[in-house]
Amino acid sequence: MAGLILIAAIALFSLWMVFIYNRLVRLRNDVGSAWSQIDVQLKRRHDLIPNLVAAVKGYMDFERDTLERVVSARAAAAAAVGIHEKAVSEGRLTRAIDGLFMVMENYPVLKSSENVMHLQEELVSTENRIAFARQFYNDLVANLRTKLEVFPDTIIASLFSFRSAEYFSAGEEDMALPSAGLSMRRND
Amino acid sequence: MPLTFIDIERQKSWRISALFLLLTALYFVFAFVVVQLVVCFIPGFSAIHGSFLVVQDLKYLAVIGLSALSIASVHFLTSGLIAVRQVIEQTGAKDPDPEDGIHRQLMNIAEEIRIASGGRKRIRCMVIPTLSANALAVADLRGEAVIAITEGLLSRLTRPQIEAVMAHEAYHVLSGDCLETSLATSFFGMYASALDRLKSEIAEEPRAWPIAAIFWVLVKFATVVNMFISREREYRADAGAVRVTRNPLALAEALDIIGKRWSGTGLISDGLEMLCISGPRVSDHDESEGWWDDLMSTHPPIGKRIAVLLGMAHVSASILAKKETAKPAAQTDPAEPLYYALDPDNVWLGPFRVAELAAFPWFSPKTWMSTEAGGRAARASALGISDTLFGGRGQAEGHADMSCPSCRQPLAMVPYERTTIFQCAFCGGTLVENDKLQRVLARNEGDCSERIISLVRAVTADNQRSLAIRRLRQLDRRKEPPTLCPKCGRSMFRAFYSYAYLLEIDKCGICGVTWFDPDELEMLRCIIENRITPGTSVS
Repeated sequence: MAGLILIAAIALFSLWMVFIYNRLVRLRNDVGSAWSQIDVQLKRRHDLIPNLVAAVKGYMDFERDTLERVVSARAAAAAAVGIHEKAVSEGRLTRAIDGLFMVMENYPVLKSSENVMHLQEELVSTENRIAFARQFYNDLVANLRTKLEVFPDTIIASLFSFRSAEYFSAGEEDMALPSAGLSMRRND
Repeated sequence: MPLTFIDIERQKSWRISALFLLLTALYFVFAFVVVQLVVCFIPGFSAIHGSFLVVQDLKYLAVIGLSALSIASVHFLTSGLIAVRQVIEQTGAKDPDPEDGIHRQLMNIAEEIRIASGGRKRIRCMVIPTLSANALAVADLRGEAVIAITEGLLSRLTRPQIEAVMAHEAYHVLSGDCLETSLATSFFGMYASALDRLKSEIAEEPRAWPIAAIFWVLVKFATVVNMFISREREYRADAGAVRVTRNPLALAEALDIIGKRWSGTGLISDGLEMLCISGPRVSDHDESEGWWDDLMSTHPPIGKRIAVLLGMAHVSASILAKKETAKPAAQTDPAEPLYYALDPDNVWLGPFRVAELAAFPWFSPKTWMSTEAGGRAARASALGISDTLFGGRGQAEGHADMSCPSCRQPLAMVPYERTTIFQCAFCGGTLVENDKLQRVLARNEGDCSERIISLVRAVTADNQRSLAIRRLRQLDRRKEPPTLCPKCGRSMFRAFYSYAYLLEIDKCGICGVTWFDPDELEMLRCIIENRITPGTSVS
């Protein structure tokens, strides 16, 4: 009888372990796929910037500094490895692009160029996509971290050496929603 | 509280089963009444079966129950599967035009919202070509979901505001409550417009009566179902939108704009009310609170929704009033840049918009221009604006065969408020494709000038007089040579834009284009924007 109870207990325990393990794996994969979404959008941004710079360069001869800042920030961001380094350099790039958009407001002639307007819209959209993808990723990371730290999940996590994921944030100055305030407002 | 939209989507709603039961009950009662009438009024029936009441016979009840269940299942499945298509057909919604700047922006926003919600569900976005301001979401049992936004709303909102409206509608879709309302609409509400059509045909076709009676019952049922659609869902969707965009102020501003505009009464059928961001029907219940109003209305008072959102943004309501008063000044802002140009007599003229410059016969890529009075001058080609104007002339875009009906000069493709129109470089006449007409009219370039306003008053008064004379003399139309369509070369018909806006324009019935003689497009925009009717003054 005691043997039967023991076997039942072991079976229940292993079922429970499988359940927790699977849940952790699912969460880890969700975080991974959310990260790849950010990566896709960052890549898209890196591809768009040279086009925009080339399109506006002719009109903005006096703003060489602003343009160079964007170009060098892009180069640094493209070369960055690791989540934290990427977050910091991408934050810098976001601010450089915002600066460029602000300067562009002073050149009404740019607004008549459908090409520039198109590139600016694409870039604004990409900025928003990065912001949303990051928001979603960070939500999932928070979820994973909670699961890894609460009892009893933490036992399974340490047993199978699940590692926590890193938040995608570049520090306080970049925590505000980027670009929403600088997007192309037409009516006000 | 769910952490992500994925969790919300996983929650299934019991209300859909309730709707199915309601539908079955409805058909059961209907079949019951029919069978009872047959038993009572067809002689011989009761004699055979020995009873006047169907209820006493379980056999009848089983047959009625089974047939009600099967009819309800067919209705449920067909309506549920075609809900999206039905709404698209009824509203005339179209896919966004990728060539159009503002539509491309809408497509981008739809993609952003998809990413914000975890990217699980692709929601199609569409545009309803009307000047009214509203947005709606619809989903069906196949899993297809559409968010449609009217051209009028699209052209009045800023990017963050469109984002907020899209997030609101996306929340409806992802939380599943859109499916319930879509099904309810498809089961009952959809028949409102069909009933209207039938009513007009009934005089000629008396056999349509029974169908009209069924439709009438279904439409009345829509009112009952409305009672079960909670006003809370709009508050929840507003909150969901704020959680995605983190921008409550933008949604408050958007609702303010929607609340103050024509929200599509008469155009968007009453049956679709549940799907819209703001009810198109004008009803006292919508703007008041209390249990009876809660029961009768599907949307909470828009003022209260705005108040909640402003509370989240920690700002007072006066900020919306400030924005509203600041608008006219902002409208004169160079949404499109203005230029000064040096004419052949060496006199600086201006400022002009690009489209206006195109009307000067002497304007060429070599014309000296400046962006400000007395500013640095540059050749038009150096400023990069002439490419769009002259590129359209002749070879480019494959429109070399289109020429102005009065000057016989090739029409140039001109950018106009983020879309394109064809304009004669010499007389300023404009050709607009009919599917772009509503956008061109909706996108406001600024206040109309005094000259246009005076012209509008004179022309509409004149047109009203001549219309009255024509009617009294029973003449069909004025005899004047018709304008030939620039696209197909056939005669266009000259008619009023509508009897509310008495301005004559030329339309081609074959290729779906409208030709505006010089000033006519501005006049029409001015009439619509200021609602000028003969005898009224402009504020």
